[in-house]
Amino acid sequence: MFARSSSRIFNVINISCIQSRSARAWVRKPLGSPMAKSKMFRIAPKKFIPADEKAEVKRLYDNYFHQMKSLRHYFFEQSLEQAESGEVAQMKHRLEEEEHIRLMEENRLENEKTAKLREEKLKIQAEKTRENILASLINKEEETRQYEIQIEAFLEKQKATPFIQAENIEKAIEEALANPVDFNFAIDLDGYVYRGRETAIEKIPEEERERLRSN
Amino acid sequence: MASAIPTFTKIGKVIRLNKHGCTNRPFYHIVVQKTRDNFDGPVIEQVGSYDAMPNSQNEKLVAVNFERVQYWLAQGAGISNPVAQLLGLSGFLPNHPQTLIQSWKNRREPPRERKLQPIKGIAPPLDNPKI
Repeated sequence: MFARSSSRIFNVINISCIQSRSARAWVRKPLGSPMAKSKMFRIAPKKFIPADEKAEVKRLYDNYFHQMKSLRHYFFEQSLEQAESGEVAQMKHRLEEEEHIRLMEENRLENEKTAKLREEKLKIQAEKTRENILASLINKEEETRQYEIQIEAFLEKQKATPFIQAENIEKAIEEALANPVDFNFAIDLDGYVYRGRETAIEKIPEEERERLRSN
Repeated sequence: MASAIPTFTKIGKVIRLNKHGCTNRPFYHIVVQKTRDNFDGPVIEQVGSYDAMPNSQNEKLVAVNFERVQYWLAQGAGISNPVAQLLGLSGFLPNHPQTLIQSWKNRREPPRERKLQPIKGIAPPLDNPKI
């Protein structure tokens, strides 16, 4: 039907990529070559077919193509019907059903398993959270108690400090005037106080030495 | 109403004759192939055979798997003329016009010499060895 033709690359004909020693296959006459002498004045003979024969042939072919078209449509529809209801389709349907049921069963079992695991996990978690909450509540109570105690102590301290009230004011003023506090003193690294002009602690006699303590 | 009926797009496959056999002894396979493939190229399915040489009973044997042919036609495969003629003669498809045209031409003109002669002396000779 279709002879083994040589390659046709970029409209270059009659060459073959594969080297072979047998005769080169002829595809067509090269396009630029001139017409052969034997063919120069040749007129191709045209077959004469009478008109009635032509009409008959046309009628036959028209009928034939019409029938073929309808046949193809019919076959197509038949194939569709068979695809729905044929044996293969039924078997496929049945297998698919079985597969579906099996998978659903598997899924159900899997779900149960995971549900169980999940429940256990949740129980443990619930326990933990409950304990956490209890612990935190207890801590909170403890803290508030401590806080209240601290506040009490602070208030006590504050109350204990000698505030000067309205009644004590005159007395306080007289006391302050009578006992002036002098801050003009120096201090060394050991805490010894130098009020006068002495710079060495040895020079000051034992009785008069002052020392600030850092408690 | 062309719109009501769906049109078939070509699927690139044909049912045609592939010549096998050897010199002076052709034997055709009726075959479903892609249009582009060669006669010796890959074949999708073999769907019958046609022996062009008449046998000892002066018969040319043709075998066709009609179910598969119907399937491929439903898919939209094309048919070549010889195969269409064979199927028409078998009754599966309507008679091809070529059969009728050839038959009235044979009646009109005397037959010409052919290489493939039916075997003489075994069965009664045909009137028109052109067939």
